[in-house]
Amino acid sequence: MGLFRIRKSTYGYIFITPFIIGFLVFGLYPLYNTFALSLTSTTLMNASSAEYIGLDNFKRLFADDFFMKGITNTWLLWLLNFTPQIGIALLLSAWFTNARLKIKAVGIWRALFYLPNLLMPATIAALFFSLFQFYGPVNQAIVRLGFVDEAVHFLQKVSVARILVIFIQWWMWFGQTVIIIMAGIAAIPIHLYEAAMVDGATGPQMFGRITLPLLKPIMIYVFVTSLVGGMQMFDIPFLLTDQRGGPSSSIMTNNILMYMKFSSSKGHIGAASSVGVLVFIMTTVVALGIFYFMRDRSAPSERKKQEKSLRPLRTQIPQVKAQE
Amino acid sequence: MYDIPKLRRNLLRVFIYTVLVILLLLTIVPIWLLLVNATRSTTEIQQGISFLPSTHLVENYRILGSKGIDLIQGFSNSMFVAVASTIITVYFSFLTAYALVVYEFKGKEFFNNFVIVLVLIPTQLSIIGFYQYMSSLGLTDNYASLILPTIANAAGVFFGKQYFESMLIQDLIDAARIDGASEIGIFHRIMMPLAIPGAATFGIFAFVFSWNNFFNAFILISSFDKYTLPMLVQTLRGDVYRTEYGAIYVGLAITIVPILIVYALFSRYIVSGIAMGAVRE
Repeated sequence: MGLFRIRKSTYGYIFITPFIIGFLVFGLYPLYNTFALSLTSTTLMNASSAEYIGLDNFKRLFADDFFMKGITNTWLLWLLNFTPQIGIALLLSAWFTNARLKIKAVGIWRALFYLPNLLMPATIAALFFSLFQFYGPVNQAIVRLGFVDEAVHFLQKVSVARILVIFIQWWMWFGQTVIIIMAGIAAIPIHLYEAAMVDGATGPQMFGRITLPLLKPIMIYVFVTSLVGGMQMFDIPFLLTDQRGGPSSSIMTNNILMYMKFSSSKGHIGAASSVGVLVFIMTTVVALGIFYFMRDRSAPSERKKQEKSLRPLRTQIPQVKAQE
Repeated sequence: MYDIPKLRRNLLRVFIYTVLVILLLLTIVPIWLLLVNATRSTTEIQQGISFLPSTHLVENYRILGSKGIDLIQGFSNSMFVAVASTIITVYFSFLTAYALVVYEFKGKEFFNNFVIVLVLIPTQLSIIGFYQYMSSLGLTDNYASLILPTIANAAGVFFGKQYFESMLIQDLIDAARIDGASEIGIFHRIMMPLAIPGAATFGIFAFVFSWNNFFNAFILISSFDKYTLPMLVQTLRGDVYRTEYGAIYVGLAITIVPILIVYALFSRYIVSGIAMGAVRE
């Protein structure tokens, strides 16, 4: 029997080996390499003669308004699409799961709201570019309807470019957030609501007192994954306008700046790496910080309770499938 | 229902359905316009918005092909990368997940937590180090640099774990062991076939992710004949097509129609799969 157990645990290691090798070769080493390159003056041209320059790349970045602008833009674009995203998702989830309201065809609404998330971001950016360009359909419509006298250069306006990026990001992600939050709500034990209803609680009261507190783990998950994705925002702002985050660098995100340094005529790999490193550190610290902070703030007993309430989530999932 | 008067509840319902319809229009109209414009001639498109399809699809497609962008090539490039990535990532994710569910071994708890942390790591930010490393191996401008990294997919392991945990598999494993099956044989011949619904659901996500992936391909692939679809879409904006709106819309439509078809067929599984990947401790 002892031998049997050894054999089994060995298979555990054998089966996870490809993952570990894949991670070391394609995940960890490139990350290490990015950190290492960020301390050098490497360009695409001088690969052999690159020098170790310490933190010079970072000093330059911190002195560069352009870099600060990239960071600010990224946070702005992310926060302004995430806030309405989570707000609308909570509202829709509350409506969809309210037994008294009996909203029809919930599965179909959700499926349609999620659709934009599956489409190619490159295509979506090109689509909104053509819809909003000078001779595009939006201009045609507002001129014809008499809202404006002359077509507008939408994509040359800072505010419009930003609003479009925010709208597209929101458009692509709110459906997914609805689905995730509803799965969280489905896992909350029904007897809590039954007890509240016996006590005469209203829908909004139950949502505020039962649903929201118990959704905390799901909300942290949505928040952190959205943040990690948002800090790496690239496709939409890059492809919507001039591939430089214009007009006036108003939608230039971290990753666009990193790409611009990489693709500059000299190919500043070292400088581009330092952008990646700083954003990596910022994102990881904030993401893991939120995780730690949010967990630590609840008392141990409460944490136990939450863990217990989370456990049914897993067994609940097949039922989510069955409901549709 | 005694607590909300009927009238008030009905008014609320009207309000809710109005909001839902507005959100639905916001969601659908841009996509619908894209598909409709793919069938309209450039002249028609310039004359104004229409929500009704026209008859110029084939003509638009011909114009698109006449300007040097080979979307069929791009389509098959994207298909190759996406299919290969999907097979690799589903297989290795489920293999790893299976090991974590079925076997006991030292360091398993650490590995479990490590996988969860990995899901939260912003991987795109190490692209420059990845590029330089691939370049030193001679693997830039090679699909291997897009496909092989999918061996280690933390989200896939997470998904696979949830799936295997929801299956009652221990009895089957014991029975197969008594019959003398090897451990890897049990995984290949018994567990993977049983996990096909889960593997297919996760496979759809892996496929869509690879199909839509612009950033990595854009950095790593340089030969025009190796361009994937999102890279070709980006070139559609170039000068050659500046006034050929119909052709541009056809090009855009080609990138999303396969996804729309897959979604129409499997939306139920896709929607339930999102919740499955997300609900975690």
